[in-house]
Amino acid sequence: MLYREAGDFKSTYAADQQTFPIKSERYLFWAFMAVAFFVVPFFINDYWEKSILVPLLVWTMVALGINILTGYCGQVSLGTGGFMAVGAFACYKLMTGFPDLNIVFVILLSGFVTAGVGVLFGLPSLRIKGFYLAVATLAAQFFLVWMFNKFPWFYNYSASGQITAPERTVFGIAVTGASSAPWATYLICLSFVFVFAWIARNLTRGRVGRGWMAMRDMDIAAEIMGVSPFNAKLSAFAVSSFYIGIAGALFFSVYLGAAEVTEAFGIEKSFTALFMVIIGGLGSILGSFLGAAFIILFPVLLKNIMVGYLGWPTDLASHFQIMIIGGMIIFFLIVEPHGLAQLWRLTKEKLRTWPFPY
Amino acid sequence: MSPEFLYFVETVLNGLMAGVMYSLVALGFVLIFKASGIFNFAQGVMALFAALTLVGLQTGQVPFSHLINAIFGTEIHHFGWTLPAFFAVLITLAIMVLFAYLFEAIVLKHLVNQEPIILFMATIGLAYFLEGFGDLMWGSDVKILDVGIPSGGSFWWEEVTRTWASEGSDYFGMYIDKLDVVAALVAVVLVIALTFFSKYTKMGRALRAVADDHQAAQSVGISLRTIWVLVWSISGFVALVAGIMWGAKSGVQFSLSLIALKALPVLILGGFTSIPGAIVGGLIIGVGEKLAELYVGPLVGGAIENWFAYVVALMFLLFRPQGLFGEKIIERV
Amino acid sequence: MSIHMPLNEHRAIEDFQLSAHDDHLEPGDIILDLENVSLAFGGVKAINDISFNIKKGEVRAIIGPNGAGKTSMLNVINGFYHPQQGTITYRGEKRTAMQSTEAAKQGISRTFQNIALFKGMSTLDNIMTGRITLQNKNLFLQALWHGPAAKEDIEHRLVVEKIIDFLEIQHIRKTPVGRLPYGLQKRVELGRALAAEPALLLLDEPMAGMNLEEKEDMSRFILDVNSQFGTTIALIEHDMGVVMDISDRVVVLDYGRKIGDGSPEEVSNNQAVIDAYLGVSHD
Repeated sequence: MLYREAGDFKSTYAADQQTFPIKSERYLFWAFMAVAFFVVPFFINDYWEKSILVPLLVWTMVALGINILTGYCGQVSLGTGGFMAVGAFACYKLMTGFPDLNIVFVILLSGFVTAGVGVLFGLPSLRIKGFYLAVATLAAQFFLVWMFNKFPWFYNYSASGQITAPERTVFGIAVTGASSAPWATYLICLSFVFVFAWIARNLTRGRVGRGWMAMRDMDIAAEIMGVSPFNAKLSAFAVSSFYIGIAGALFFSVYLGAAEVTEAFGIEKSFTALFMVIIGGLGSILGSFLGAAFIILFPVLLKNIMVGYLGWPTDLASHFQIMIIGGMIIFFLIVEPHGLAQLWRLTKEKLRTWPFPY
Repeated sequence: MSPEFLYFVETVLNGLMAGVMYSLVALGFVLIFKASGIFNFAQGVMALFAALTLVGLQTGQVPFSHLINAIFGTEIHHFGWTLPAFFAVLITLAIMVLFAYLFEAIVLKHLVNQEPIILFMATIGLAYFLEGFGDLMWGSDVKILDVGIPSGGSFWWEEVTRTWASEGSDYFGMYIDKLDVVAALVAVVLVIALTFFSKYTKMGRALRAVADDHQAAQSVGISLRTIWVLVWSISGFVALVAGIMWGAKSGVQFSLSLIALKALPVLILGGFTSIPGAIVGGLIIGVGEKLAELYVGPLVGGAIENWFAYVVALMFLLFRPQGLFGEKIIERV
Repeated sequence: MSIHMPLNEHRAIEDFQLSAHDDHLEPGDIILDLENVSLAFGGVKAINDISFNIKKGEVRAIIGPNGAGKTSMLNVINGFYHPQQGTITYRGEKRTAMQSTEAAKQGISRTFQNIALFKGMSTLDNIMTGRITLQNKNLFLQALWHGPAAKEDIEHRLVVEKIIDFLEIQHIRKTPVGRLPYGLQKRVELGRALAAEPALLLLDEPMAGMNLEEKEDMSRFILDVNSQFGTTIALIEHDMGVVMDISDRVVVLDYGRKIGDGSPEEVSNNQAVIDAYLGVSHD
């Protein structure tokens, strides 16, 4: 009875295929969006911005990207950190090379640059599969990080090897640089995520998404049916890298402000991204959100309990954190390989028929 | 002989030694992959954990002391005794076997029919878990591992090679670390022992049967559980050996676990299912890295070692995915 | 737009036709001709100098003991394996090394011996994937969805829904196929192959593992596809009763060679075929 579906019949395919077919869900979603866009900016402070909301949004972008590649198309990639670096450095070079270019365009262009790089490193996927492809993407990860370290042109010959984001504005309001207000950085990230989550949903619901999933489930049969592996795999790499590049650009310019490539874009980022989609749910847009939320919020929660409440030293908390995350990965893989998104789906099924069992 | 040639030989020798160290880690992977089709990403962390446990036992550390101190406000760190290396090694081995048993019972059993990529991700989870657990148990500070293996440069060899240099050159002789030599010998012995075990013993045969077909092996009475516990225990032992060698060389610290990543190119070259391949692959990668650093490095600013192995692996994956010694992968519809 | 289906009328869909590919061939003309085809894997010859043809609009059965090379034959026809020797002429054009995606675009569609459905997707999505060679709105339009991409998807869904009605699988259209019983999975796979509107449909043991009732259903579907849409069908089948009943001509393989070719009656009386495969019934 929580979900009132009686009388809610669909008489067109378009209605049947919409994202939120249940009316109450749709209203809830728009209400949530309204709060996110119009209420939160008034209450957000530095802590919430820097520790929770902005990293959450940036990582959701990453999770969307890697979910498209690994969750929908089945191509495992351990190169996420390297691709984020490409996005960040493209952003930096564009920002410093074309100071008059609007930051939104810069970020979008960084995405396109990363898409190109992604296609290049995705070419091996035409010959190698599964776990072996993961190894090939490791080559991308280590090579890219080395490259951004070694060639000073990338960081404009600065002595520290760091890249720093100059101040940029949107509609006259600073979104990057030291003087950017929390609500401004929050809103720009939220806008990007909103638009690109919608695009991800669109791509995955139609021909392109079906081609990706066919590649993932039975690539030989898919090829025999006419799904071109070249198109499917490389489009997955392109779109996924586009998302990860944008996330990298936002991560650097809006969130960090300054970055050094080895510590900011190392292989831990690649694992973090993979963990987000495993826990959240492979092949699910909602899963990307849930997984990112879990991985970002859980350490914060743990730290608040252990350090804040119990008074333990921070390194203990981080040991526990690593242990628990590892344990949860195994737990999810055994119990619910489709992640939190599937748990959510099952809960909804129960709620739809509650209080009846079926 | 000219100094340049001698430098070349020295680089090759050091490369071979480095390669042997990689092979030690790669061996553990091959075993598990052969028997269960799982690529055990946690192999490096297992080596780290084994080394940590060994040092902890030797120095009489209290396990979980950090946690206990935080909860109870105490300040205990050591029991006060020390254990001779021999006993510490044995106890660590027992702990690794226990770990193998627990892992099989709690995790592997439930993941039997999943695709390889799921199993691989489960081992990534294991790696994180074991790392956190190891840190919690023994602390994350860098430790010195000493089980009595001779180390340091060999002065004798330095003298001998100095005499090979041509007249009048100011060549100082080759530097070869004694530890590396010991590691090389140990690795060779291990490879021979494991190959023998796999080919000629009953258990080894059972292992190969399981690697080929789980169900068929079960139907002739081979217990999957026993085999898997056995395999993970042997891998644990190999991890311990690798941990001792690497730990003695550069201290017991987190970066030990990253060796897992280096083992991947070794396995791709040698073939995931070949025990001798792990050695050959390791040697090729070791020598290749060092030579590339020496000759190509200066052209591009150095530190090629970071990615050279992976690019070589990538080439192999594109043109000969089964490696030099592995079984050919055939796809059927 | 809405679809109303009278509940008890199956297959009374007069306005539903699978458009045949325009190939200027009349029923009875040869649509596929294999001449002296040989295929070897390493030292093993899977197909040894085999020649036969398939006529447009007929149901051609390929039978033979296990390991005779039947599935390899289908794989050759559909471009997955490339024979080392021989020529293949499809719809009047000689084919060299055709890629399987190209074969799909040319109107060859198939089902698989061990079901190759996309287990992560629903029935509807699986069959929709069969339409993929006919969909062409580009990536950017897909990213926007509303507009041309959505319109195209809905048009194709209309056809897919008709196929779903034809195969009587409406009740499972949203079910993930991994959860379906074996017989229904085979039906969904048939639907997916039909969705591509093939000129030549290859069925690899479509009735394997089915009971009598399911076999009768599947036979009816196959015959309906053949009679209603004129689709040429080549099928591998072990049940001789089915082969006798539904096929127009039969080709018999044994150890990679052809040992019989003709109508079902001719083949069942062929001594070589009896010795190799059919056996003699002891009454």
